[in-house]
Amino acid sequence: MQPGTSTQENPARPVPTHAVEGRLTTPRPSVEVGKRSTGDEQSLVIKSRAEGLSFYYGNVRALKDLNIEIREKRVTALIGPSGCGKTTFLRCFNRMHDLTPGTRYEGRIMLYPDSLDLVGRGVDAIEVRMRIGMVFQKPNPFPKSIFENVAYGLKVRGVRSNARIEEQVEQALRRAAIWDEVKDRLDNSGLSLSGGQQQRLCIARALATNPEILLFDEPTSALDPIATARIEELIDELRDQVTVIIVTHNMQQAARVSDYTAFMYLGELIEFDNTSKLFTNPSQKATEDYITGRYG
Amino acid sequence: MKEGSEGHTFKAYDGALSDLRVRAQQMGTLVAQQVETAVRALLNADGEAAESVLTREHRVNAYQTEIEAESFRLLAQRAPVASDLRMVLAISRAVTDLERAGDEAKKIARFALASASRASGGPSRVVRKPLRHMAELACESMRVAIAALDRGDAQVAHDVARLDREIDQEFEAALRQLVTVAMEKTRLLRPIFDTVFALKSLERIGDHAKNVAEHVVFLVSGADVRHSGAGRDAPARESQH
Repeated sequence: MQPGTSTQENPARPVPTHAVEGRLTTPRPSVEVGKRSTGDEQSLVIKSRAEGLSFYYGNVRALKDLNIEIREKRVTALIGPSGCGKTTFLRCFNRMHDLTPGTRYEGRIMLYPDSLDLVGRGVDAIEVRMRIGMVFQKPNPFPKSIFENVAYGLKVRGVRSNARIEEQVEQALRRAAIWDEVKDRLDNSGLSLSGGQQQRLCIARALATNPEILLFDEPTSALDPIATARIEELIDELRDQVTVIIVTHNMQQAARVSDYTAFMYLGELIEFDNTSKLFTNPSQKATEDYITGRYG
Repeated sequence: MKEGSEGHTFKAYDGALSDLRVRAQQMGTLVAQQVETAVRALLNADGEAAESVLTREHRVNAYQTEIEAESFRLLAQRAPVASDLRMVLAISRAVTDLERAGDEAKKIARFALASASRASGGPSRVVRKPLRHMAELACESMRVAIAALDRGDAQVAHDVARLDREIDQEFEAALRQLVTVAMEKTRLLRPIFDTVFALKSLERIGDHAKNVAEHVVFLVSGADVRHSGAGRDAPARESQH
């Protein structure tokens, strides 16, 4: 689904040309993959695209034929009520479900420009996780030093040079806006930091391997407003460096930090649009009811 | 105005939005009464009616202050989005136009009061007919705009825009007549000037009614037609009936 389209017929906007009876078939990309066009809405490169993605927990179909384009170096928010599948969808990107027995994917999640199907058979999940970083709801630093937390991914990747590791650890900590707070205590345990600092340490850990996409699963739900603001500011700064997908229950957070927002309900993608459009004049009543607090 | 069929999870939020709409409707009704009474006072040289308009003017201002304060509070505390946000903004904008229409009614009432007390010559006789017609159009456009705000009916934006065009045409025609009279009978300049101001007030009331209708279009569809000239062909694609 391209921004500005929905899975339900909408008289207010033209039905996408690839829509068939209200459902989306595999959509044509709005831009050629890897090429930039000059149109305002079309000037972005597609980083990833889910195509007919369904996901099953045993016999339960948690995601239903999702089609969505993720734009490169932009923030895409996934919103929806509990159980709608947004976290399930997020976890598909870095194959977190592989750890759960009885799960299976249908469809594809293409990663560009390599045209790699992230959920394809034969694709190494560990390699996927190196390229698609993730930050979780609750800060989860390893019970190791601050330095080791960030260096871990680099070592797994086979980086042996201490000088290079030190350089990349510092760079990751700076990108995560925590360097100034920890530079004099890199040997201290990561667990000695405050909740907000731990979360930024986890972001630094995720950034250390230079991921192409960074996934955030409700990254501030356990933080106070000040720590939340720092994480949001950090996401804003990362926007120019990495493609971000964030799951949040906080409508205002989605409105503040994201460029695009997708509303999901019962495993389906209901509406996907520019964040400003979705939060001021959504096309679908279900979206309107949810974001205005009329859901349920 | 209709809201989502489910109602907000926060019932107090529903109550606050509903209260805002009710107050905007009350203010609109009061302004429409003010305009009608002021015009009647002018056409009938009814000093008592003119006095009542001036007496009630502070209530119009009080409504504006209250509604804007409540809108401000809702924005700060509830952070409305989508149709709720559009409603708060549309009402906040509409009350500004309603208050200004109330000011125009006050100006007409002052002229009517001066006319009734013979301090002024009253409206020039040559334009009594267009004045009456403009007054009827202005009152109707305000009534229609306020009803549209109440119902969230963007379709009537066309009607209000048409009425506004009629008012503008009447205003131009009346001005031409008055210029002719002023050149021929300079002793009548004072009542002619007063009449021009009254006509201008009616013309402005028509403009404010059109603005209110444009705010209703924004409320319903999200389209801002204020400066697009589209008020005449507003994308009134749906009604919130």
